Amino acid sequence: MGRREILRTWWHTGRRRLPAALVVLALLSVATGALASDGSYQVIVHPENDLRTVDRTFLSRAFLKRTTRWPDGRLIRPVDLPADSATRRRFSEDALGRPVSAVRSYWQQLIFSGRGVPPPQLSDDRAVINYVLRHPGAIGYVSAQAEVGNAVVLTVR
Amino acid sequence: MVRRRAFGSRFGAVLLAWVALSGNASAQDQGEILGAEDEPAEGDLLTFHGFVSQGFLWSTANNYLAQTDRGSFEFFEAALNLSRPFTNRLRMAAQLFTRDLGPLGDYRIAFDWAFLDYRHDDWLGLRAGRYKIPFGLYNEFSDYDPGRLQILLPQSIYPITFREFLLAATGAELYGYLLLGSAGALEYHLYGGTIFIEPREIGVPLESRLDVPYTLGGRVLWETPAEGLTLGASLLGVRLDANIELAGTPVGIRVPAVLWVASAEYVRHRLVVAAEYSRWQLDLQSTDETVVPSALTVSERFYLLSAYRISDLLQAGLYYSGLFPDVSDRSGRESYQHDLAATVRFDLTPNWLLKIEGHFLRGTAALSPALNDGIPRSDLTMNWGLLLAKTTVFF
Repeated sequence: MGRREILRTWWHTGRRRLPAALVVLALLSVATGALASDGSYQVIVHPENDLRTVDRTFLSRAFLKRTTRWPDGRLIRPVDLPADSATRRRFSEDALGRPVSAVRSYWQQLIFSGRGVPPPQLSDDRAVINYVLRHPGAIGYVSAQAEVGNAVVLTVR
Repeated sequence: MVRRRAFGSRFGAVLLAWVALSGNASAQDQGEILGAEDEPAEGDLLTFHGFVSQGFLWSTANNYLAQTDRGSFEFFEAALNLSRPFTNRLRMAAQLFTRDLGPLGDYRIAFDWAFLDYRHDDWLGLRAGRYKIPFGLYNEFSDYDPGRLQILLPQSIYPITFREFLLAATGAELYGYLLLGSAGALEYHLYGGTIFIEPREIGVPLESRLDVPYTLGGRVLWETPAEGLTLGASLLGVRLDANIELAGTPVGIRVPAVLWVASAEYVRHRLVVAAEYSRWQLDLQSTDETVVPSALTVSERFYLLSAYRISDLLQAGLYYSGLFPDVSDRSGRESYQHDLAATVRFDLTPNWLLKIEGHFLRGTAALSPALNDGIPRSDLTMNWGLLLAKTTVFF
């Protein structure tokens, strides 16, 4: 079979199989996407913040900087843990609805089109708690075991 | 033209100088000047990012983008950018970019974008300078390799050879993001300005004069209440005026063009599915019909793609892309190009990736006779394949 015939065969069979391949990918996504919040992280804000409950849509928009203001007009200052942090992985899958690597791609797209920069990334729970306590508009997440001091833990719906 | 392009370069250079001169102000200094609420957050100060990409292209027949039928490494891209907030509402950003892609680029360094960005509130912001054109789902990111899975985005709607026309404009852009309660959210852009085009970047003689008197457009993306589903529409109006010399005869050309695209994207956890349908109307008006006949053409462009993130280290995806350069004539191999592509991406480290992509193509509509020894598209090989490999280091 010549090179052209091989190409022609691949073209015809591949084109027929494309919809099936897309369906398989969709099923894979649903299967791996069924994560639920298991209380393995705490979302914290500054004590001056009146909010006590947030939903995941708000969290997603705040950490992706789609929404940049709290309901009272104050600037939202999200802060992240390192990309290899287990707490960040859980938060990303549960609250942002996508893995850390996808969030990194999102920020790289914005960085290289000049449209934004990601939240600061701090080394551990203690650094995030200190950051949140220093900035009234801050919002962060830490592990479930972390002692958050005066920071306020939000209920995530 | 030269004068206007020089203005664009100077604008970027002035922005960079401004940043350099003000770059030693600490966040604390700024906080004292601006007040705590206007102080940029820690970690949001001056940031630098960059990438370097090297690719390889090989085709089973026909030359595409470069001399690919014998394999080509003429596929290089690099960029360096910075972003600097002055307050929480005002910042500047600029990027230097260079590339080599077959006959295009030739490693010339130019400002990819450079603008001041004032975000009054979520629902209203203004960018002034050279900005990426919001068109379709991915145009702003089309020349940034690490931000996507594919090496080549679907070329029917994001043709890499049209980068000069479609990527960036100089002028002003209004944008915003509006929450609609239970109806989701709306992202919108409205822009106007001009485009500076380098003649050699679009394959016309260097002595040609090219002007874009205007480019106007807008894009709306609706984040629907269905989680992960975004629908959108983009419209772009642009006019190209050119004075060129063909076979010793000077010809004036005017090409008003209207481009629109309807978009849909579904993102759920590790899956992305996207589809776009577009039509581009080009009304070519010539001063010498014997050399360049006037013509009104409408092209049709569409694709369906899917990408899946198997793990943090591995992604895979497929797309099918279709192009008909003239909807009134769909016969003959030169009147269409179907492209079935499969890609795998390996993130070898957090800052180094490798991609491999295979294309099976039917039709020759997007091929350049100039790259194929002047052979007309109707005589080029109808069924052909393209293999690409690309590695990128980024920070």
